[in-house]
Amino acid sequence: MAAAGKGIFFDGATSARRPVLIELAPELLVVRDAEHRDIIARWRYDKLDHRQAPEGLLRLGEVGGRVPARLEVRDPALMAAIDDASLPVDRSGANERRTRRKVVVWSVIAVAVLVAAAVFGVPALADRLAPLLPVRAERALGTAVDGQIRRMLDKADGKGTFECGEGGGEAEARAALSRLVAKLSAAAALPLLIDARVVRREEANAVALPGGRIYVFEGLIDKAENADELAGVIAHEIGHVAHRDGTRSILQSAGLSFLFGMVLGDFVGGGAVVIGARAVLESSYSREVEGAADRYGVALMTRAGGNPRALGTVLGRIAGGIHPGTTILSDHPDTQERIRVINDLAAAASPPKPLLEPAEWAALKLICKGR
Amino acid sequence: MNETSPFDAAAEVEAPDLPRDAVRFLGVERDFWRLLIRGSVLLLVTLGIYRFWLVTDVRRHLWNNTEIAGDLIEYTGTARELLLGFLIAIVLLVPIYVVFYLGALAPGILAESASVAAFAALAVLGQFAVYRARRYRLARTAYRGISFHQTGSAWRYAICAIFWWGMIAVTLGLAYPWAQASLERFKIRNTFYGELQGHFVGSGTRLFFRGFVLWLLVVGPLIIGVMVAIGAVDWNALGEAYRRGPREMFNGAEGAGAATAAAFAALSLGWSVIALAVLYPAFQAMVLRWWLSGIGFGKLTVTARLRTGAVYGLYWRFVRVSLLFAIVPAIAVGAIYAIGAIGPKDGMKGDATELAQTLLAIGTYVITALAYSVIYQATVKLRLWKVSFESLALANVEVLYNVKAAPSRATAVGEGIANALHVGGY
Repeated sequence: MAAAGKGIFFDGATSARRPVLIELAPELLVVRDAEHRDIIARWRYDKLDHRQAPEGLLRLGEVGGRVPARLEVRDPALMAAIDDASLPVDRSGANERRTRRKVVVWSVIAVAVLVAAAVFGVPALADRLAPLLPVRAERALGTAVDGQIRRMLDKADGKGTFECGEGGGEAEARAALSRLVAKLSAAAALPLLIDARVVRREEANAVALPGGRIYVFEGLIDKAENADELAGVIAHEIGHVAHRDGTRSILQSAGLSFLFGMVLGDFVGGGAVVIGARAVLESSYSREVEGAADRYGVALMTRAGGNPRALGTVLGRIAGGIHPGTTILSDHPDTQERIRVINDLAAAASPPKPLLEPAEWAALKLICKGR
Repeated sequence: MNETSPFDAAAEVEAPDLPRDAVRFLGVERDFWRLLIRGSVLLLVTLGIYRFWLVTDVRRHLWNNTEIAGDLIEYTGTARELLLGFLIAIVLLVPIYVVFYLGALAPGILAESASVAAFAALAVLGQFAVYRARRYRLARTAYRGISFHQTGSAWRYAICAIFWWGMIAVTLGLAYPWAQASLERFKIRNTFYGELQGHFVGSGTRLFFRGFVLWLLVVGPLIIGVMVAIGAVDWNALGEAYRRGPREMFNGAEGAGAATAAAFAALSLGWSVIALAVLYPAFQAMVLRWWLSGIGFGKLTVTARLRTGAVYGLYWRFVRVSLLFAIVPAIAVGAIYAIGAIGPKDGMKGDATELAQTLLAIGTYVITALAYSVIYQATVKLRLWKVSFESLALANVEVLYNVKAAPSRATAVGEGIANALHVGGY
């Protein structure tokens, strides 16, 4: 075993390359100038910093050194001797593998914590924050979202107006809708003004915006067979308004896009994972939310004196016409299950009387027919 | 070995042959592939958190195997610094993020101006981050026991960079040579090896004349195509058709020569895209030669003899390996169709089929994207580093032999904002 040998030293003060003699003392590696034999460095074996270098070169620094002073050894026997004497010097790469394992374990833990934050933390935070938002702020939020929603929904291309019932001929239809909504609003007694409008979209659907605006699609008016079915859907949407679901989902999507987009999604291909994770998470929020809105809708219809089962009836009719998608990604929980829950809740309700007179309902049916 | 012998001879212990005026890259390509593949797997497992360790490994491989005038450079940065910098940047960016999010929800004109302001702010911040990241990389680059460092205001750089990129856009790329010359002059004049200041002598005008033919071949036909297209359209007829309403528009447009115009535009655009793909390696080789030859430190000057053929060679290898790998996504797409064809379609089992297809599609996408990143880095990035450095001839290397270290002004944290905004370089 070589206890001494030659090397090259860079002292970190200048870039001069100094030939040196290296002695392996019991605790220390001693570096002497090759010419005048003065000691220029003493490095403890446990403080050696093994730097990555090509094959055939051992490059050392000192841990905690303020300048990158370096010692280079090319003598194989001396390299082996230093490797034996010093723990941090490890030409086999075992130290590096151990560090990497630690990094991976901690990263996986961090990912688990982030996923937990996304699944539990973000919705919990949104649930706590949404009720704290004053009504005025919610209405402002609604106005802002309204512009975007209208742009997304309006496919009229200038053929007729987006909103139905704006012509003079539909005054009766408008009055009927107002009466229906007024009955529901009175029963709901929310601090917000409920503002329901019918828009030209073929789908049998309705959406609620933060702040109280509800868009009922033309397709739903066509599919509904009586005023209570329409009222049931509107009551469900009022449930979303009362629960502040729109506001909550905006807060949630902001939180999720921050969590997944900024903290994680930086590696190539990560975008797909992020989008997939968000879609699954957001739809799992909305399954709970839809269930809650159904329960609210049933209770509201009962209070308003309408038929609480009508929501279930119209849901069943709509679902008959569309192909069921993948359950985990669908916005609305399995329709049969929803109808069962609605009927269970409505079982004890008072005997229904129609919310609108037949003539009023007939007028409302025609709200989108005038162009 | 005889124990007293080292003390007898004062002769230097040298590597067998040290080319004093050249640069060599000693890395083993197999090691780099292994590093990248292992890193990609760990990226998947850690949902991307491993990226700081991967980028550190990549830099260490490139830097620590590069030998300039007989001595190796070294990357002294750590993944921990990068992670810390990233976390700090995230915290600093939260208020900006919140302001823009609220701004986008605000009604009317405020929302639109907020998104424009956000774009402008992120563009400036991105260039700021690019400069700061360069500062970090230089501070973590050591050579012969001395670190590099960078001075200069990152804000000033960001403003200049935004100005020049705007000029490039306005002039359809003609301003690029002067933009590069100006920005590189700023960067390299602010680059120091110890106390030795860098300088850049590359001339924008010279680059312009070297590259003008390439520009003509790529952008020229596009301009001509667009002009011809504009000329072919009978604008009065088109305007008349527009006034008559959307349904008339289509028929009217045909009469107005829009079809000919569209054909011309498509043809010239197709030509430009193909010319860009074919000529890009030549352009890259030309710019690299110009850039490397412009760099100097004190009396040290550099001449780059990078061959255009070598750059074409490495891109050609990238294309070959990519085509070979394309078998994997092709098989996966086949499997997705097969599942759709034989899997059950109704009820719960139908859902399972759809879910399996979705998962397979996402998995294939992620693996393909990661694989292409690995192939790109191992074929193009590594080879380009190697052939560029090995094409260099150095003059007056002696100035590097006795440079004083600059007073320490190390940065404690890594490329924070650059990582948060995804604008990293090497």
